Amino acid sequence: MTRATTSKPRRSWKPSGAWITTRKVVQYLALLVFLVLFVLARRGDTAGDIVNIPMRLDPLLALSNLLSSRVFLMGSSLALLTVLLTLIFGRAWCGWLCPLGTVLDLFSLNRCRKIDAATPPDGWRGVKYFLLMVILVAALLGNLTLLVLDPLTLFYRTLAASIWPALDQIITASEVALYRIPFLAAPVSALDMWLRPEIFPSEPVYYRNALVFAIIFLGIIALNLKAPRFWCRYLCPLGGLLGIISKAALIRREVGEGCKGCTLCTQVCPTGTIDPQKNYASDPSECTMCLDCLEACPRSGIVFKARVSPAAWNEYDPGRRQALTSLGLAVAGVALVRSTPHTFREPSHLLRPPGTRENDFLEKCIRCGECVAACPTAALQPAVFEAGLEGLWTPVLVPRLGYCDYSCSACGQVCPVEAIPALTLEEKRTQVVGTAYINTNRCIAWSDHQDCIVCEEMCPVPDKAIYLEEATVILRGGETKRIQLPYVNRELCIGCGICEYKCPINGEAAIRVYVPSDNVLSF
Amino acid sequence: MAKMTRREFLRYLALGTSAATLNQFLAACGQSAETLMPTDTAKATWTKALIPTETRQSPTATHTEQGEIAPQATTDPSPEPSPTPLGSPDLVVARGGQPEELIRHAMAALGGMEQVVSKGVDVIIKPNICIAYHSYEYATTTNPWVVAALVKLCLEAGASRVRVMDYPFGGTPEQAYIVSGIAEQVAAAGGEMAFMPGFKYVATEIPMGRDVHEVEIFDDILTTDVLIDVPIAKHHSLAKLTLGMKNLLGVIKNRSAMHRNLGQRLADLTSLVMPDLTVVDAVRMLMDHGPTGGNMADVKNMDTVIVSRDIVAADSYAATLFGMHPDNLDFIRAGAEMGLGTSKLDELRIEEVTANA
Repeated sequence: MTRATTSKPRRSWKPSGAWITTRKVVQYLALLVFLVLFVLARRGDTAGDIVNIPMRLDPLLALSNLLSSRVFLMGSSLALLTVLLTLIFGRAWCGWLCPLGTVLDLFSLNRCRKIDAATPPDGWRGVKYFLLMVILVAALLGNLTLLVLDPLTLFYRTLAASIWPALDQIITASEVALYRIPFLAAPVSALDMWLRPEIFPSEPVYYRNALVFAIIFLGIIALNLKAPRFWCRYLCPLGGLLGIISKAALIRREVGEGCKGCTLCTQVCPTGTIDPQKNYASDPSECTMCLDCLEACPRSGIVFKARVSPAAWNEYDPGRRQALTSLGLAVAGVALVRSTPHTFREPSHLLRPPGTRENDFLEKCIRCGECVAACPTAALQPAVFEAGLEGLWTPVLVPRLGYCDYSCSACGQVCPVEAIPALTLEEKRTQVVGTAYINTNRCIAWSDHQDCIVCEEMCPVPDKAIYLEEATVILRGGETKRIQLPYVNRELCIGCGICEYKCPINGEAAIRVYVPSDNVLSF
Repeated sequence: MAKMTRREFLRYLALGTSAATLNQFLAACGQSAETLMPTDTAKATWTKALIPTETRQSPTATHTEQGEIAPQATTDPSPEPSPTPLGSPDLVVARGGQPEELIRHAMAALGGMEQVVSKGVDVIIKPNICIAYHSYEYATTTNPWVVAALVKLCLEAGASRVRVMDYPFGGTPEQAYIVSGIAEQVAAAGGEMAFMPGFKYVATEIPMGRDVHEVEIFDDILTTDVLIDVPIAKHHSLAKLTLGMKNLLGVIKNRSAMHRNLGQRLADLTSLVMPDLTVVDAVRMLMDHGPTGGNMADVKNMDTVIVSRDIVAADSYAATLFGMHPDNLDFIRAGAEMGLGTSKLDELRIEEVTANA
């Protein structure tokens, strides 16, 4: 085997060919489908079973949910397709379908750089297996927190709570600016009619921590500076799961007679798994089947063909020691995140999506953000710390930012794991999300004796869960005034939060929705 | 494909942008002034005719300026005030019949839609589509066939375009348009459902305003040639009733703030908007738990519509259907006091027609 004759590796060189074109077409189509389904989830007029297909294809989500909830869902069997794909083609999901992988390919930053970036040691590849084991053990103990690191949930959450709202802001600001220019008013209106409510919501939506999600996402892209597809190589737990399955994959990359050791394949491999020391062989668990090497090879030295025999175990692959460490870590971690106050007493304003009260919500929710995207009023927001670390980025209802729309039951329809039950509109209308309480110190009718019945007016319950009592109050000057004072009928209140959302005072509303107290009516 | 340098890219980008801009500009020049800058001729003449002389300085002053730029360009054949022919009633009440028949009879008795809509004008119909919760049977949103009949009459009178819009406070507009049944009927009648996007709200002075002097209002409401206000008669706990004047709350941005001193503030808003025609839908009335409703027990079938070019008069008459005296409603008193119309029903020429006769 002779060493490379080219003295200078051309790092900006990218191979091309029919296979690569095909792969890219598939990648962009998959990304497009992912985005289109996201937009359709937003619009709410497409069946939930269609918009949540990407999540259901993800075997990591399906397996963790199964271990944690101990309920087998028919919908999750879609993930078997991905498993089957992996058993045949190895990690083709990563190279051909994963939307996050495609984004990382689009931003393969280090190819533009001239420096010969020193890639991290191979041992780092073990991190993803370690993460995977922690996730699965924690899931067995009923905790799904680390699913925030699943590539699909990560991308989807960022889309819903960060990228889309930001695009919406930019578009709205441009529209406001351009509409003032006389001859642009008509085209701007036409553009807006095309964009809303089809692609962007008709009313601007706001998400807490939109910036945090964006920073995490950009951070993962920035890791590409260190090595191409850094995330997929070293961190991605789904990649880890598919990697282990790939050990038994049917189709393998093999180096044949034609190889003259030119190292071109080593240079183009996005996961850096082609090892010149091992006769240019690669690890099927690391290979994303991108076929760059196939097209790069000038001598047809590389073939992909079927072969039935498990691949060799590498140093970085999970071993007994890692398994034990991850087991210990998962147990300790789950115990610690449960040893916080929120498990003992429900936080006042930890409102969950409709229908989840009687449900072991935390054991089911995979933090995918489908419900966040589907909620038309942006009432559902990824939790920050309301639910403790255990409930990180699970959906919570924040009435001051949006209300639970009386004409909507989208969250339950799109939930891929039935953490939010799929209720009909009639069923959902009777679900008690919380209970409203009036803060009479802040209410302008109660404390300032001004006419305001907005909460009562907005209440969607047919017989009004907020009622008004006429009272005679004494004003500062001594004269009296007849005024209507709002009260909450807690037997009727469903906690939709439109009263809190529309309360006209600034800052904290004078009426707030609290977690429902089951015993409040028994007194 | 040859690789493009950054400089070339920027050059093409600039070229493309300017071409696109120029294109829009040229397209804009080619259009008639009326579509781009709808004049308020129709509205201005109407308000002049209605408002007593002492308060006559047009309430839509900000927009009459635009109107003066190109009044000749309009196809409005009657620039002089001629709101109703002599002998036509001020207000018509039609009873007993299908919604479309009610509207047709009522408008015919009022002197025909041609009194309001001239050939080629742009019309906006503002029904009450305040929530996306219930179908029209619950009497929370305007009857779809009432709206559709108005669309047809406007088109028959020669309107160039009839748009129907509202901005609900509960649920999304797209959902509300469908649930109310209005989207379907309007489309069948040849009108278009339009949305009210946030960027189109402009801060506008209310020259006659007594309590509110500026509101952020949907631009098209002020720039359209003809505005038809089509409320449904409903209970409301603060205003007591929501009728034509209250329905106008749907065209502004910050509605919650209007609830203090609601009566006067509604009158202030009405002085700015001044619909050219008010049609109160009392086919079904919501007697309690308004404006959101949802309980069939609160719905009363009346098979009645009220039409008038005087919004205060229309609201006053509608109040009597609930057994209320107009003077007991703050917004009607405030509106009458500001000279926006008359609340004294005995001074009006009221014609009652029966649609199924």
